[in-house]
Amino acid sequence: MNIQQHPDLIERLAAEHALGTLRHGARRRFEALARQHPAIQAANERWAQRLAGIAELQPPVTPSAHVWTRIDNLVAADVQARIWARTSADAREAALTGAAAPAASWWNKPQPLRWLAGLATVAALVVGASSVWEQRSQEATIAALQTELANKPAVEYVAVLVPTGDASAGPGLLVTFDGERGQLKLQRVSDYRESADRSLQLWALPPGGKPRSLGVLGADALIRLQATQADLIEVPALAVSIEPFGGVPSEGGPTGPVVFSGRLLKNQT
Amino acid sequence: MNNADTDATLVALLDRMAAADESALKALYALTSAKLYGVALRVLGKAEWAEDVLQESFLYIWRSASFYRNTRSPPMAWMSLVVKSRAIDFQRHLTVEKQHLMHEMTADVEQQLTADVPSALDLRHASQAAIALHSCLSALDHQQREVVSLAYLKELSHGELAERLKLPLGTVKSWIRRSLDELRRCMARFA
Repeated sequence: MNIQQHPDLIERLAAEHALGTLRHGARRRFEALARQHPAIQAANERWAQRLAGIAELQPPVTPSAHVWTRIDNLVAADVQARIWARTSADAREAALTGAAAPAASWWNKPQPLRWLAGLATVAALVVGASSVWEQRSQEATIAALQTELANKPAVEYVAVLVPTGDASAGPGLLVTFDGERGQLKLQRVSDYRESADRSLQLWALPPGGKPRSLGVLGADALIRLQATQADLIEVPALAVSIEPFGGVPSEGGPTGPVVFSGRLLKNQT
Repeated sequence: MNNADTDATLVALLDRMAAADESALKALYALTSAKLYGVALRVLGKAEWAEDVLQESFLYIWRSASFYRNTRSPPMAWMSLVVKSRAIDFQRHLTVEKQHLMHEMTADVEQQLTADVPSALDLRHASQAAIALHSCLSALDHQQREVVSLAYLKELSHGELAERLKLPLGTVKSWIRRSLDELRRCMARFA
């Protein structure tokens, strides 16, 4: 049957498509037809716009003021993330076209761009939550950490590391830095466990520069790594990658995927 | 402000948002958030869920403002659809227990769907498209109106509607077909 010869049928199907009662195979077939025939696509759009009035006619209800605050924050973070991503893109561009990279270069690793792709994602995370869930959960976690910070003035940096690219999962690692003891304390707060032949490795991500290893995580729930202020100063974000058991040398950069990442916050007292 | 002006104002704000003008977003929110929140709340019943959907929707609208013109859609129709789709998605991702909770909360709301005819006050700032639809929906008999509204707002299938309204499947199918046919005839007069 040539559907174009049946305008009535097209109208009926487009109307049911917009209403939502056209389902499964019939829906998919109709959508395929719409992609092939502009007249059908036009009918779909016409009906979608018509029925949108049902939603529009629902009684208005004023939302609470904090809803706007959250949107404002999300949008501001979004604007920042794009600036950051453009900056990172410029840095990547410069690095890739740049001249003499050292021999056993980080850039020559198999799939060298995988890490770079991760960097852009982290850049987005660095400047703020990109989803409502992330913002709510980070707000709560950060509030708890700030209380801890207030009670322990020696803790100068904190980070909440969340699964990269999975905004629906909870935080994976909480990180605090104690300048007096020269120690990074990491707490595992999710069920994530690396396999026996792998280790998690923590990296500092200086802006526009190579990741620097801060150490390999042991299997315990609570991990202490030696670190100095110098390791963390001017570092906006941390990331955790999966590496072969025992980790990899810092100079080579991460070889495995990033599982957690997040902003490093300095305690402003 | 009459209805044509409302549409033009909203389109101008979306154009400014496409150029990353954050003050335009604030103005858009002021003009449209109550309507859009009403939609989310109608679908989900719970304020916290509706708030999350509203936030995600405005973030999406902000990010897609430069694509809005490609949709060839009146502004409120586009935004209402964004909110409704996200609300339905949100509902589908709720756990089974929470879905049950949601059904309880919205059950009595659904009884009132037909009783809820917007007042002249609400229509004052409605888009032209919505006014046309309102007029045509009013011409349907109340059971037809109820079935159509429920099907749309909850994205229910014929089978789900039949179950909810305790009607035979054949009845639901023919009511929907007749209602859509009548809407089509009526709305063609406005087009």
